[in-house]
Amino acid sequence: MNTQRIGAIFEKDLKEFRKNMMLLMMPVIPIFLAIMYSRMGEGELPVFLLYLIVGATYSAVTTSGMMTMMAEENEKKTLRGLIQSPASLADILIGKSLVVGLFTFISLVISLAILGNDEFLAFQPIVGLILLFLFFLLLGIGIGLFTKSVANTSAYIMPVMFLFGFTPMIEFLNLGEDSIAIKIADYFPIMQMIDMHETNSWTAIGIVAIWVIAAAIFTFICLKKVSTDN
Amino acid sequence: MENAIQVSGLRKTFGQQVAIEDVSFNVKKGEIFGLLGPSGSGKTTTIKILTGELKQTTGDVHVLDTDASSFDSTQFKSKIGILSDNSSLYERLTVYDNLKLFCKLYDAPLERIDVILEEVNLKNDRNKVVSKLSKGMKQRILLAKALVHQPELVFLDEPTSALDPGNVIHIHRGLQKLNEAGTTIFLTTHDMEEATKLCDRVAFLDNGKIQELGNPDELRFKYSTHDFHIETTMNEKLVLENDSKNADQIRDLIAAGKVKSIQSDKPTLGDVFLQLTGKELV
Ligand SMILES: Nc1ncnc2c1ncn2[C@@H]1O[C@H](COP(=O)(O)OP(=O)(O)OP(=O)(O)O)[C@@H](O)[C@H]1O
Ligand SMILES: [Mg+2]
Repeated sequence: MNTQRIGAIFEKDLKEFRKNMMLLMMPVIPIFLAIMYSRMGEGELPVFLLYLIVGATYSAVTTSGMMTMMAEENEKKTLRGLIQSPASLADILIGKSLVVGLFTFISLVISLAILGNDEFLAFQPIVGLILLFLFFLLLGIGIGLFTKSVANTSAYIMPVMFLFGFTPMIEFLNLGEDSIAIKIADYFPIMQMIDMHETNSWTAIGIVAIWVIAAAIFTFICLKKVSTDN
Repeated sequence: MENAIQVSGLRKTFGQQVAIEDVSFNVKKGEIFGLLGPSGSGKTTTIKILTGELKQTTGDVHVLDTDASSFDSTQFKSKIGILSDNSSLYERLTVYDNLKLFCKLYDAPLERIDVILEEVNLKNDRNKVVSKLSKGMKQRILLAKALVHQPELVFLDEPTSALDPGNVIHIHRGLQKLNEAGTTIFLTTHDMEEATKLCDRVAFLDNGKIQELGNPDELRFKYSTHDFHIETTMNEKLVLENDSKNADQIRDLIAAGKVKSIQSDKPTLGDVFLQLTGKELV
C-alpha cells in the first residue's frame, strides 16, 4: 500500500465521477426521497422509513457506485494500465473506495439533515452506520471485480438493492408474522439496525459485524479468483 | 548483465491450443529488438509474458535481471514501460490529467508531462479531453504514457499501427532518440520497413517458434541470391549470377554504354519472411 498512489487514484476517480452523469445521479436519489418523506409526514418519521433512506444511499451510491466504476475500468480496458503500473490492486480499490465513501457521506448527511432527525447522533448508531457502509462497499468491490460492462451492473444491483437496501419493505408483502422469509429477513443488517434503535442492544451491532465479515470473505474470494484467472 | 531480456524454452498454451511452442532469444541492453510475425503468431502473448500479464506454461524468462515470478513487484514495474495492443485512456479526462495519473503512479516528476508531450508532438493538445481526439492522437498519448517515467526498457505492441505516415516518421525519430539515450526497446510490428529502419535485430515468429533471428541488413544479405539484375538501353532484362565468369560480359555492357540500370538482388525483410515460412507478413 502506498499513500501517493492511493491519492493519485482518488484524484483521478474523483474527476471522473464528477464528469459521469450516471454516477452523479445516484447520490441525488436518497436526497430526493428524503425531500418527499419530509413533505409527507407530520412530526417524527418512523425509524424504518429512515432506514429506507440509509438503504437507498448505501445500495445506490456505495455498492452501485463502486460496481459502476470497476465495470467501466474493465469495459474500457483501463484497469490493465493501472495493474501494469506500480499501483497494487489494494491501492486501486482503496482510492476508489475513498471516492465512493465521500459521495456516500455527502448524500447521507444531506438526506438525514433534510429529515431533521437526530436518532443517528449517538455513538451506537454511528458505529452501526459505518459497519453497514463497509458491508455495502465490500459487496460493491466483490461484484465489481467481475462486472465486465456497465450495462451489466443493473442486473447485479437490483438483487442487492431489494435484499439488503430495502429489506424493511418485506412488511408490505403481507407474508404474516410467522413467515419464514420474515424470520430470516429479521437477521439482515438493516433490520438489525432498526432493532438496535428499539433495544439499544450491542447484539444487533454484533450481527451487522458478522455480515461485514461475511462480505469481506466474499470479496476476498472474488479477489483470489480474479488474480488467478489465467 | 548485458542482456535486458533472456528467454529460453518458453512455451505457452491456452487449454489445448499451443500459442508459443518453444521460443528462446536474448535482447541486449541498449538495442531495439523487433518481434515480427503474422497475425496470431504469438507476438502479443510474448509481450504479455515478458511484462507479467500472463504466466508462461514452461520456460525461463528473465527481464532486467528479474525472474518472471517477481514481475509483479513495484520495483520491476517502475523500470519498464508498456504500450499494449489495446490499452486505452480515460476518455472523460484531459490529456494532461491522464498523464498526471501515471506520473504519480510511477513516482515521476510532473514536469515530465510537457517534455513527453513535446516528443509525441501533442504539446498544444494537453488540455483537450481525450474523447475528442483522433485515433492516432490517442495512440501517441498511450506512447507518452508508456514513456513518462523514463523506463529502462519499453515494450511496444504495434506502436505505429494506427498512425499516418507523417506521424510514423515523427514517432520513429522519437524512438531512435530515446534509444540513443540508452533505453532498450522491444517492439512488435507487421511493418517490414519499420523493422528494417528501426531494429538492430529482428526475430521472425511463426508457428510458435522463432524461424530466424538477426540484423535486418544481414538477414537480407543472407537470403539474397546475390544475382545482378541489369536493364539495358534496349530494355532487355538480364539476370546474371554474381560470379567471375560473368565479369567480362558485365564489363563489356558497361563499356559499350548499354547499361540503363544495374542492381544486385536484396530482398526485403518481407521477402525473407515469405521465403522462410511461405507466408506474407501482413
Ligand atoms: N487469452 C487467450 N485465450 C486463448 N487463446 C489465446 C489468448 N490469447 C491469445 N490466444 C491465442 O494465441 C495465439 C497468439 O495470439 P497473439 O495475440 O499473441 O497473436 P499476435 O501475434 O499478437 O497477433 P496480432 O498480430 O493479430 O496481434 C492466437 O492463436 C490466439 O488465438
Ligand atoms: Mg498482437
